[in-house]
Amino acid sequence: MKTTLRLLSGLLCLQVALSCVDSQNFDQYDDLSITPNMEASLLYVEATEAVINQAPGVDFIQETFAFTPFSEPYVADNLLDGVLTFEVENTTSKPLQIRIEFLDATGAVLDTETFLVDAAPTALLRREIAYGGLGGRSLDILRNTVQLRISATNLGDASSVSPLPDPKIILRSSAQFRFRLK
Amino acid sequence: MRKLLLLCLLAVPVLNPLGAQNRQLLYDFMEIPQALLLNPGAKAEYQWYAGIPLVSGISVQGRASGIAVNDLFADDGLDINDKVRDRAIRGLKPRDEFGTSVQAELLSGGFRGRERPENFYSFGIYSLGDVITYWPADLAELAWEGNAGQLGRRYRLAHLKTRGDVLNVFHFGINRQLDNRWTIGARAKLYSGMVSFRSSSNSGYFLTEPGADNLLVNILDANMQFRSSGFEAIRRILDDDSADQAAEIRREMVSRGFFGGDLGLGFDLGFTHNLSDRLILTGSLLDLGFLVHASEVRNFTLQGRGAVEGVQVILPDALSNPDREFWQQLVDELEGLVPFEEDQRTYLSFRPTQLFASLRYNYGQRNPGGASSSCDCDYRDGKSGPVPLPDYRSSLGGQLHLINRPRGPQMALTAFYQRRFWNALALKATYTADKFTLANLGLGMSVQAGPVEFYLLADNLLGYRNLAASHIQSFQFGLNILSWGRN
Repeated sequence: MKTTLRLLSGLLCLQVALSCVDSQNFDQYDDLSITPNMEASLLYVEATEAVINQAPGVDFIQETFAFTPFSEPYVADNLLDGVLTFEVENTTSKPLQIRIEFLDATGAVLDTETFLVDAAPTALLRREIAYGGLGGRSLDILRNTVQLRISATNLGDASSVSPLPDPKIILRSSAQFRFRLK
Repeated sequence: MRKLLLLCLLAVPVLNPLGAQNRQLLYDFMEIPQALLLNPGAKAEYQWYAGIPLVSGISVQGRASGIAVNDLFADDGLDINDKVRDRAIRGLKPRDEFGTSVQAELLSGGFRGRERPENFYSFGIYSLGDVITYWPADLAELAWEGNAGQLGRRYRLAHLKTRGDVLNVFHFGINRQLDNRWTIGARAKLYSGMVSFRSSSNSGYFLTEPGADNLLVNILDANMQFRSSGFEAIRRILDDDSADQAAEIRREMVSRGFFGGDLGLGFDLGFTHNLSDRLILTGSLLDLGFLVHASEVRNFTLQGRGAVEGVQVILPDALSNPDREFWQQLVDELEGLVPFEEDQRTYLSFRPTQLFASLRYNYGQRNPGGASSSCDCDYRDGKSGPVPLPDYRSSLGGQLHLINRPRGPQMALTAFYQRRFWNALALKATYTADKFTLANLGLGMSVQAGPVEFYLLADNLLGYRNLAASHIQSFQFGLNILSWGRN
């Protein structure tokens, strides 16, 4: 009985005293890399053929406006790489040119993207532009962009009307970017 | 009694969830007076006891289901990013939890009524800290991988569930032996909250899908809240560089822990029923109570629904917008639809409700019908002194523990074996199956030398082979001075 008693009562103390821990390396935390790939729509521009026909000159859109999602401090500091996707749909009766310019705080043009689309019927024009990474454009373009200037030029006449229902020129776009959270 | 049991079973899932710990080794281990804290209706056999202040009852528990420290930080040469992705991001489920509980008695004592010896009164103060966080599976995956290529997937905001409390509990309990078969008890509790936080009633989702106009639409449908109390006082102290911050924080916590912070009320119920001389049924319902958080409150909410398809320039309407602040307007519009707000409104929180039950079979009769070391006595006849009841050397049985967690009741089943050795030593061995492990072996002992009693209880002994790989670990110890019925 004494032996049993000693064995049982000592077991607990021994178990605690002799507990083991396999070798751990908490420095691994420094190597942890959290880089989510986020995507969202960016810009949507729409003009009806009636607006194009009523414009006094050939440039029926000439808009400059503040655009700061990429220059927000957190985004600018943690942006790794990404892709801007543009899609242009033209259902009007005239060929058109759309130009997007990325401007910095002084108004200087950092980058320009031009889209030429034929008169309807025509396929969707889709273009993907990479930033950062291998072969991509400089991320500084996006980091320093605080304004966009959108210009659209009518390369056809100012009177014809497309037989398609509700003729328009539409620019759609989205951004997919990788950020470093850790 | 059936009604009481029914009430217990119904109350646990209904009352609001919070955390605490299963203390299966201590439950019904009546050689240890602190067992009365887990069942105020336990069969108290002491004349009196006094806990040694600050060391009469200390219990610490750490728990993590689904993953252990070793899974991520073992020095195994694997890339930690692969381990996090495979074992945490893709391996853990929303029901997996991480938590810790610490309880330390500041004061405890108990005595048998002089006029009514069938009554045993116990009282004390203990500090309690408890934190529980569920794995926010969808949010973690969103943060790890992002929403790209996840069209139509709803990232559920309800996966964020966390809460924590630090409080003092002032309690007073009455235990009464009704007859040879029934002992019942109740304990009243005053809670004095020091700090608290909780975010456990969230709902909504974040969704990306093809847009109606643009290529994509991001939808945030949120009903989220985070409530806290007590932290503002600490923050003010930390902001004041001229103060002795450690001393000030200590003073603030002591003040809040002694009725200067949040206040609450609660009670425990319990019983012991001798089904026969050898077969005993026990049960208790703990922490039916609440706290009113009215001081140093700071709450945050994110409520509303917003859908964003980027900046929209639609001619000719856009030409009428003179300032051309399309981006800022979009941000403002989203903030209007899903406002992030702050307030200092008082809120109510409920304490973790726990249910314990056990069925015990005693055998190995030590002293048939006679006085024994620890008097298993009938105290109802106070004049002639306690009447000793049959006393047993060994016990075998099963226990049930239910606790209401933020994601619903959580159960643990325990089988136990208990044995007394003379007057000096009692051992209890347990096997417990719960969500953390199906092989939780525990061992506890109570050693009495004269009037001094020391106990040590340790859980999940197999986990000590590699603590870093253990999902749950706890230990309890304490030092008391006590007098059994014979004294």
